[in-house]
Amino acid sequence: MNKISLAVSIFSVLLTFNAYAENEVKTTPIEKEINIKEEPKSVDDTDKIEDKGQVFDNIDDRTLQLNKNTTDASTLTISSPFAQSSFVPDISLILDSSYAYRNITNNAFDGLITPSFRGKAGFPTNGFNLNYAELSLASTIDTYFDLMAVLPFSTSGVAIEEAFINSRSLPFNFQLKAGKFRSSFGRLNSQHEHSWDFTDAPLVYSAFFGGEQLNEKGVQINWLAPTDTYLLLGVEGLQGENEASFGTKGFEVGKNKFEEVNKPNLLVAFAKTSVDIENLTILGGLTFAGGGKRISESNDDKTKITDFDGSSKIYAGDLTFKYFFDSYRYLSLQSEYMYRSLNGINYSTKDNLSSDSEQSGLYSQLIWRFDQLWRTGVRFDMLNKNDIYENTVNINSPNNLMRYSAMLEYNPTEFSRIRLQYNHDRSKYADTNLQPVNEIFLQLNMAIGSHAAHAF
Amino acid sequence: MIKKILATFVFLLIAVPAFADVNVITAYPYIKDIAERIGKDKIKVTSLASGNWDPHFIIPKPSLIAKARKADLLIINGGQLEIGWLPQIIRQSNNPNIQSGNKGLLDLSNYVKMMEVPTSVSRSQGDVHPNGNPHFVLDPYNVPKLSKAISEKLSIMDSANSNFYKNNNIAFTKEWMLKLKGWSNKMKPFSGTKVFEYHRLYDYFLARFHLVYDGALEPLPGIPPTAKHLEDLINIAKKDNVKFILQDVYHPKEASKFISEKTGVKVIVMPQDVNAVVEAKDIFSLFDNLVNKITG
Ligand SMILES: [Zn+2]
Repeated sequence: MNKISLAVSIFSVLLTFNAYAENEVKTTPIEKEINIKEEPKSVDDTDKIEDKGQVFDNIDDRTLQLNKNTTDASTLTISSPFAQSSFVPDISLILDSSYAYRNITNNAFDGLITPSFRGKAGFPTNGFNLNYAELSLASTIDTYFDLMAVLPFSTSGVAIEEAFINSRSLPFNFQLKAGKFRSSFGRLNSQHEHSWDFTDAPLVYSAFFGGEQLNEKGVQINWLAPTDTYLLLGVEGLQGENEASFGTKGFEVGKNKFEEVNKPNLLVAFAKTSVDIENLTILGGLTFAGGGKRISESNDDKTKITDFDGSSKIYAGDLTFKYFFDSYRYLSLQSEYMYRSLNGINYSTKDNLSSDSEQSGLYSQLIWRFDQLWRTGVRFDMLNKNDIYENTVNINSPNNLMRYSAMLEYNPTEFSRIRLQYNHDRSKYADTNLQPVNEIFLQLNMAIGSHAAHAF
Repeated sequence: MIKKILATFVFLLIAVPAFADVNVITAYPYIKDIAERIGKDKIKVTSLASGNWDPHFIIPKPSLIAKARKADLLIINGGQLEIGWLPQIIRQSNNPNIQSGNKGLLDLSNYVKMMEVPTSVSRSQGDVHPNGNPHFVLDPYNVPKLSKAISEKLSIMDSANSNFYKNNNIAFTKEWMLKLKGWSNKMKPFSGTKVFEYHRLYDYFLARFHLVYDGALEPLPGIPPTAKHLEDLINIAKKDNVKFILQDVYHPKEASKFISEKTGVKVIVMPQDVNAVVEAKDIFSLFDNLVNKITG
């Protein structure tokens, strides 16, 4: 038995090498040379296959096909043998503009705060807005990497929202991402604004990450598990400069001096999985993000928010149920919950206070695409927990901050979208008083060029 | 004893991959059926899409990513038919074999002559297929070209079974050619018959059997019918004596029914892929069904 199995394995080794060797010889792509005429000679009808062109010539072809005049002499003289235009990357431009109406002035709205949350999103002002013109470029670099860059232009300049490379040839189902990119944190974070279901980000996203979600320089390694069920695991090492939850800037207050934090300062780990039950797809994810938080307020008024040094941990879970009635209609219920604990010390010229906070928020949205061209949806937002302890004393920051949204969308084609959205926002405070805000947005989102298809 | 365990281990490590079936993933069910006829028990085939959904807008479910991960070979229709859903799946599959430009990707559109290739494209013309009409499988004369390409590809990837694949292809092609004669004969009386389509899915089928396309329910590719456009079609139908409205299985059927009620033109629901209708169980019965739907 011993010898037999050894012999079999040696034989198999030889076979494998043999197969390899043959592969090496035969790998020249022969696809282009395939000519059906070579083969089934015995079958009388075969010749017709090659005659196909003629058959088609006879038909009354009412098509988009235009006939250029090939007898035009200019087509014979113009030649550009070194043109590289076939290497032009996929280029697209997405224009987002909106009309906004709000029950309070821009100034008053700008002055509102979400108590004890640093994050604040940019917002469309009353009247007309050019939110962004987002240029994106994507192409394969070489056999090993792809590159993608997203460059939003605004009236105040250009930003590099994302610019990263993706590996395309790592073994064992690993993939590497490096550059500046939206973290794969949670469900919504990695999606671009124009693929969101609402005009604005959920409250918990802007409260925890500000206006640009968790978008950092760094690397990501992800691994698609060798299971029949979709299971993606990944870790990211990021700079952690997002000051709404992290931050790296050093500061000096009185005798206390902190250098800038050593970077990378943020670790993100995520797991995502999905199952299908008939036409229902369930997608769930868990994310952890942990890093240092060092913030220099560097304003003269050191009485209230002060310089801070400590650490921040976020735990998040997301769950999406999407039921497809057919190719064009679905009902989707998507929810995310995030919990953050921040521990550290507030430094000011007056005193140093230990500061510990436990904050959490969630959103849940129901989207119904009831027609190829129409979608509608509602969203419920809440910052449900807002416990801040300064020197172990709860400062009683308001919690259960809510917002209610509804939207109706008309998509004349895949490339254009008109959206009407209404928000009733009870999450913002003018000093210590709740200021309810009503908002209406009429948004136009339009895309030209070649824009990559979106993920699920 | 240790030697034995070691030898068995080495055997498992090396021999299993050497004898493993070629894992083939196809974009659509019709490709799966052809591939299975060529590869038989030497390959394992899974289709990403199912046949009764819009082939342009297959939902990129994460479960498809898990399927694509395993592929030694991904066979696509090509001609931009998958542009709306497959690129993301391939990118997220973390599978180097099937990335564009690599050996594990076979694009069938390279082996057929595409119809309706526009010399200029603009999205003002709707969601046009810039490389031409990609629904070429519905010309039955294209099928042997596709099977040949698949057989050649498998012969390269699994050279030990090269003859097996080639012989299967010859046998399949012979069988196909015989069926073709039957279909051609049955379709002959319908030469010149004018039809409407919802989307221009069946143009290759029409061209092959000399049926005449006389309008699409979509005013432009990808745009649902409008009242005005339907009125125009009703007038054309009356004037030109249009015989059939070829309705696919996945678009809403109200517009076809509306025209039918106003004009008496018969609506027939035509499969565009294997499994689009129950009768279309495989590539043969797909064409049996298409032909039967026309010939009644
Ligand atoms: Zn099409």
